[in-house]
Amino acid sequence: MSPVLPLLFAWPAAVILALLDSRRRWVAWLAVAALAVVFAAALALLVDVLGNGPRTTVAGGWPDGVGIVLSADALGATFAVVSVGVVLVAVLFEVIGGTESRSFGALALFLATGLCGLFLTGDVFNFYVFFELSMIAAYALTTYGEGARQLRAGFIFAVVNLLGSFIFLIGVAGLYRVTGTLTMDLVAQRIAAVDPGATVPIAVALLVAFLVKLGLFPFHFWLPTVYASARPAVAAILGGALANIGAYGLLRFGADILPGALRAGAPVLLVLGVASLLYGSLQAVARRSAPEVLAYSSIGQVGYVIVALAIGGPIGYAAAILYAVVNSLNKALLFLASELRGWLVGFAFVVGALSVAGVPPAAGFLGKLEVFRAGVEQGALLLSLLVLGSALSFVYMFQIYQHDFWRDARSAQVSRRAVGAVTASLGLVIVALGIWPEPLLAVSRRAAAALTGADG
Amino acid sequence: MTLLLAAIVGTLFGSGAYLMLKPDLLRIVAGLVLVSNAAILTLLAAALQRGRAPILPLGDGPVSDPVVQALALTGIVIGLAVTALLFALAYCVYLTSETIDLDELSRLETRREQELEEEELSV
Repeated sequence: MSPVLPLLFAWPAAVILALLDSRRRWVAWLAVAALAVVFAAALALLVDVLGNGPRTTVAGGWPDGVGIVLSADALGATFAVVSVGVVLVAVLFEVIGGTESRSFGALALFLATGLCGLFLTGDVFNFYVFFELSMIAAYALTTYGEGARQLRAGFIFAVVNLLGSFIFLIGVAGLYRVTGTLTMDLVAQRIAAVDPGATVPIAVALLVAFLVKLGLFPFHFWLPTVYASARPAVAAILGGALANIGAYGLLRFGADILPGALRAGAPVLLVLGVASLLYGSLQAVARRSAPEVLAYSSIGQVGYVIVALAIGGPIGYAAAILYAVVNSLNKALLFLASELRGWLVGFAFVVGALSVAGVPPAAGFLGKLEVFRAGVEQGALLLSLLVLGSALSFVYMFQIYQHDFWRDARSAQVSRRAVGAVTASLGLVIVALGIWPEPLLAVSRRAAAALTGADG
Repeated sequence: MTLLLAAIVGTLFGSGAYLMLKPDLLRIVAGLVLVSNAAILTLLAAALQRGRAPILPLGDGPVSDPVVQALALTGIVIGLAVTALLFALAYCVYLTSETIDLDELSRLETRREQELEEEELSV
């Protein structure tokens, strides 16, 4: 199966939807249907890649080495499935509740196109183009609702992340300069022969770009305003799907293309990851409104991904991938559930809270377990800091659960059943992944193997 | 030539970063435009070589690298699109808040939050 397939569905659907008005019911449902098809295509691609190994196509039938390479390996396909899945659930949630803006469906589809493209490309510059495509759609989506708060948040989001993107572009220029190619495989081969003095500034530029995207401390300053101001469905897309770009970018560019620079920078990443973990968790404990707590929790949770990435090796990478996947599901669920009430939503929120805190049977337990497993060899200090972050996440999650779902339970209106059912089904997925973890574990190990080159 | 380009890129990026620190939304957009041009110039500088335009049929002599030119063109298009988007966003901010000063905007935000909190307390 060709890695182009999800793009072939997503791109035309986005263009058609751009001409239609998403406020009409049938157009909104068309967007959901199109996303479902893209999700199915990405899922089929993942199954194919897991069964038959990585897939590569050169766009436009150009000879090798001239055309732009699209390639799907276990890592890219996994992230594509998770991200498109999160976008699908968030859009479904918003469509059931009623879309308020003309362009919502088209923007969501453009975002999905960009995400599929950047996870399934084998070309460094093509990665930048798809990355910009999804980010531009995200800037516009952040202003969804068009209140003064959303607009201001959208502007800040756009400016900070565009600065990150241009720094990334400078890094790409550097990569081309030192290797003379833009194809990821060739860059990875040729970079070994390049003077480390030249690769370090490039690696730093790429690292800064992805850390800004991921919202890691101390690049987090834009994140709380944006996540807390955006509407729940949009915040779910930002926290659940878009943040994956940062995690994927670090894994692809760090572990796959610049492994030498990643090893050299591992201590820095470790310190930043732990700092982010503690800072995010402590800030989250101090907040009272659910979106703010979740925003700071996002800063804390990506700390685990970075720590696992810094530890490295097959176990570390697998833990980073697993945690990124679980974290994006958690964040999507919690942002969606944060402004709803009712027993179904209460159930979903508890599942998400347990998952963030790392309590079985939610899938978050699995993620924490893998990160701890990777961290065991790093000594007691790191492990105790990780456990501290975990304990803090338990505190802040149940603080807001208590505050929002117990105290306000009588006064608040129960939300519509269908909207509650969407969040509850996402909760069920998280529990199912926690109870039957083998598929997720196997996929993350295969994806890590694709990074370390053990997977052909 | 490389040194000259490096100096220009540095100046552009520095001025852009300086403008982005201003509280005025339009200055921030202008700063971002400078930074985007710094990035595009870096792309061009990444493969500086003397040669003729790479148009078929290729004659004798060296040909300049067409890849970076394609990249720079793409970069310019993306830069144009995001500039337009940012101006539109700034205009929308002005329409809803009647100011494009970030300090003023955050004052408005704080006031709104305080009102919300008082409402919550009175309930």
